[in-house]
Amino acid sequence: MATFHLQVVSMDGLIYEGSVQKIMLRTIDGDVAILARHTNYCTAIGMGTAHILLEDNSEKTAACIGGMLSVMDGECRVIPTTWEWSDAIDVERAKAAKKKAEQRLADEKLSEQARINAEAKLRRALVRLGTAQK
Amino acid sequence: MAANMKAVKLRIKSVQSTMQITKAMQLVAASKLRKAKEKADLSKPYLEVLRKTLTDIACENTEFHSPYTRADDNDKWLYIVIAGDRGLAGGYNANLFKFMESETRGRDISVLPIGKKSVEYFKQRKVPIFTEDYAEVAKITISECFEIGRRICEAYRNGQYGHIYLCYTNFVSMLTQTPEASSMLPLSDFEENAPDTEQEEKGKARELILYEPDSETVFDTIVPEYLAGLLYSGINVSVASELAARRTAMEAATDNAEEMIETLSLYYNRARQASITQEITEIVAGAEEP
Repeated sequence: MATFHLQVVSMDGLIYEGSVQKIMLRTIDGDVAILARHTNYCTAIGMGTAHILLEDNSEKTAACIGGMLSVMDGECRVIPTTWEWSDAIDVERAKAAKKKAEQRLADEKLSEQARINAEAKLRRALVRLGTAQK
Repeated sequence: MAANMKAVKLRIKSVQSTMQITKAMQLVAASKLRKAKEKADLSKPYLEVLRKTLTDIACENTEFHSPYTRADDNDKWLYIVIAGDRGLAGGYNANLFKFMESETRGRDISVLPIGKKSVEYFKQRKVPIFTEDYAEVAKITISECFEIGRRICEAYRNGQYGHIYLCYTNFVSMLTQTPEASSMLPLSDFEENAPDTEQEEKGKARELILYEPDSETVFDTIVPEYLAGLLYSGINVSVASELAARRTAMEAATDNAEEMIETLSLYYNRARQASITQEITEIVAGAEEP
């Protein structure tokens, strides 16, 4: 299959650079897969698991949250807010975060901002757990 | 002579204790610098790729529905100025403010100061301040960057400001740090910064970009995050620059102190020798007398 150049850069530095066959991730508008020779494209990334199909047909997965995806002249750039390879996810920590967020949400008197924060934390923890278990 | 000697001795002692302080500060800055530089190096590719992508988008953009992409006539400028919390960093803060002065001449500006020195400076100058909530640059976390990003976006959308710029100190090398300003909003400002090659190609038809679900939603989601990203990496780079500037300044101070001590002790020894010689002469003169 044809390959294209992919760059994944987050605030933690350059995460991945190289030729890939396919990248699939969840945008704010649902799942998309980018293949070679895609038209110029730009979208915002939602919360979900990203799958990258490398040149040698092996697949890598990661928890990918926030940021943007752009394809310009056949170059694909993914600029996520957070990106964690599935093998680097700390499952115990994610579980703890999930539990803590659930407890916070159970509190009726929680303020609006705190509720939004706790919900975001819970969602992030769920994405991490979902990615790690695949 | 004896009184003079005492004064010199005191002076040596005081220079010595100053040297101890500058030496300690130099060591502390050097060890902190290593960590800060690692952090800055990590966020450098992010900053570069993000800026390149947005420049590409700005150059080829044909969608002007989103307020973030369109340049309007609002002539109010907001500068986010990242300076240090403390002095004794050589010209770090002064250079940045001097640069700000020349950069903003003749513009109607407000500032969002980050860092205590920055807050102090603009308060003194009576420049309108957007918020002072982020006075300590050392304590700013990623989530605070997101908060700042959101607040700036809100102010921008309300038409409070027409242009948003980030002013920080770029870490060129261990010995050179230069103040720089980069545009943050609107995205059309990026076009001006684009390298010449892209400007030349402007004659050709612009390639269309597909936005999903639509450009407005995409920009509304991306922009606050990208502001936070730019801000966070700007802070990292500035902190590294501050430490490097402090290290260099303190190294120079320590060297100067060493030199001073050398000159002073030479002077002291000479005075001591002179007084001994004088005493001997007096004793000998007294012994020969009878």
